[in-house]
Amino acid sequence: MKLLALIKKEFHRFFHDPRLIVTMLLPGIVIFLLYSALGEIIYTEESRDLKVYLSGESNVVAMIEGMIEQNGDKVEWLPLESEETARAAILDGEATAILTFTENFDSFGENASVGIVYDNGSTDGSYFYSLVSSVLIGVGMRFPIRVQTVREDTEVARNFMQSALPFIVICFIFAAGMSVTLESVAGEKERGTLATILVTSAKRRDIALGKIVPLSCISMLGATSSFLGIALSIPKLMGMSFGVFGGYSGWSYLLLFAAILSVVPLIVSVISTVSTLSRSVKEASAYTSGLMILVMVISLVSSFVPSMGNWVFLIPVLNAVVAMQGVLAGGLLVWQTLAAVGINLVCTAGLVFLMTKLLSSERIMFGK
Amino acid sequence: MEEIVRAEGLRKTFTLSKKQQRIERTGETRRIAVDGLSFSAYRGEIYGLLGPNGAGKTTTLRMLATLIRPDSGDAVLMGHSIVKEPDRVRDIIGFMTSELKLEGFFTPDYLFDFFGMMHGMDKDKLAARKRDLFARFGIDKYAEVPVKSLSTGMLQKVSLVISIVHDPEIIIFDEPTNGLDVLTAKVVTDFLVELKGMGKSILLSTHIFSLVEKLCDRVGVIIDGKLVQEGTLVEVSKGDLETSFFELYHRIKGEIV
Repeated sequence: MKLLALIKKEFHRFFHDPRLIVTMLLPGIVIFLLYSALGEIIYTEESRDLKVYLSGESNVVAMIEGMIEQNGDKVEWLPLESEETARAAILDGEATAILTFTENFDSFGENASVGIVYDNGSTDGSYFYSLVSSVLIGVGMRFPIRVQTVREDTEVARNFMQSALPFIVICFIFAAGMSVTLESVAGEKERGTLATILVTSAKRRDIALGKIVPLSCISMLGATSSFLGIALSIPKLMGMSFGVFGGYSGWSYLLLFAAILSVVPLIVSVISTVSTLSRSVKEASAYTSGLMILVMVISLVSSFVPSMGNWVFLIPVLNAVVAMQGVLAGGLLVWQTLAAVGINLVCTAGLVFLMTKLLSSERIMFGK
Repeated sequence: MEEIVRAEGLRKTFTLSKKQQRIERTGETRRIAVDGLSFSAYRGEIYGLLGPNGAGKTTTLRMLATLIRPDSGDAVLMGHSIVKEPDRVRDIIGFMTSELKLEGFFTPDYLFDFFGMMHGMDKDKLAARKRDLFARFGIDKYAEVPVKSLSTGMLQKVSLVISIVHDPEIIIFDEPTNGLDVLTAKVVTDFLVELKGMGKSILLSTHIFSLVEKLCDRVGVIIDGKLVQEGTLVEVSKGDLETSFFELYHRIKGEIV
């Protein structure tokens, strides 16, 4: 009952303060509007007329064509006679891309693979590549994709953007967690209102959980808002339809959600513990900013190092980033994601225990 | 008389930081705040801890309220040890000090219910107590006003009723009238007398002689963390509390300032 009252108090504090709600949800709305507007500016053409050299046969071609038409664009398939000529046509802007399927591709045989050559310097080329990628993710990605660009490679930047999405999610979770937790824990300690609760017979563990549980929910809300803002605006920014999200199965979404869900209480627990240790919001803010940089660096590591082995799933936060990247790349990393969730939850429990100890420490709570 | 509070050999020391050592020009690393304090308080009486600033009064009350632990010694409040059963002690005491604050965003109504639940009170009892106390202190008109918008006097009244929301048997007040205007101070002192009449035991700390003379049944004089004199108000004051205190202080410290 006491724990419930503590949790309700935090929710009451948040949901009855319009300023807090606005500051939490605003980033997502702003991101969505900004990116969507940017997408509208970039892709002002009424419709695209794509010309794609095609080699080999596959049902995927019909799917790609269907998606292009769904977006209000047209595609003309040209027979590939000479790759050299086709590449020159792409560079001259007379064609969009080359798409090649190996023989008997649809049976997903041993040597099945897809090749894409496109102009990474044109919006049409990038649009076609993104669209093909999303369709291929949808069919399972049980084959290699050979990607080539005809200009100096901006591919690194594109791949970075794709692999950076989990990193962005972690940053949003941290930012959302900071915005509510610093005020709620360090702020209450600084103002002396936490001490008033400590005089009651509520257990220190309940007080710690009474902060971490509701603040995690609120942070999740803020992070979701920011994530939706970016996720819903990215198709527009890249000139695609929302159908790109249909490329993932329900399981993929479930694994993504589980990975995110395990990181939120962990990050909130870290910020809560640091806030409990700090004397003021200012001090806590300085410490957590340092922590945020650390988490950002850890999360970025996975973007630059492509295969780090399964040991990364033992490292809190990083494990969720890698799991999300794996799932977004079309894999179903069930055991790895579950291991990440388990480890993150164990770490959260450890931090709840530590915060309970800190709340019981007079040097921490009442030391000058 | 039923003994409600028994403190035995309470001792508390604090570490002095380098900065504090520099400011106070001392080489000592630990400061004794309370030094082997022993006293008893009884049911239905107001016991006052009298002493100058820094004598150890607040530290003593904070130990009794279980906010800090004694280095050695113990105190038993209605059979519960502050060292071994701090959770039980917190349910039988009401502690009020300027150190404890209320969140300005919430209303008195919300905070009263919240702290009632923190003490495990059931809803019906809580509602009845809120009606009584809010009416008694004129808080009912401001029940839905955020605490940050209340006047200092009203805020003090709200803090007072919230500290005793669970109808505790022992009430601990650190400098109860500090910073209050004369009207609010009278409301508080009158209420302490009323609580005493209800059989509650009250422990308060103060450096104001008139407050001790007006309220206290028994007094403990603290100087430099030690209880140097204890007795009924008549025994300690010997007719004039202020004169007696300064004579005692001079005898112990050999100086007045």
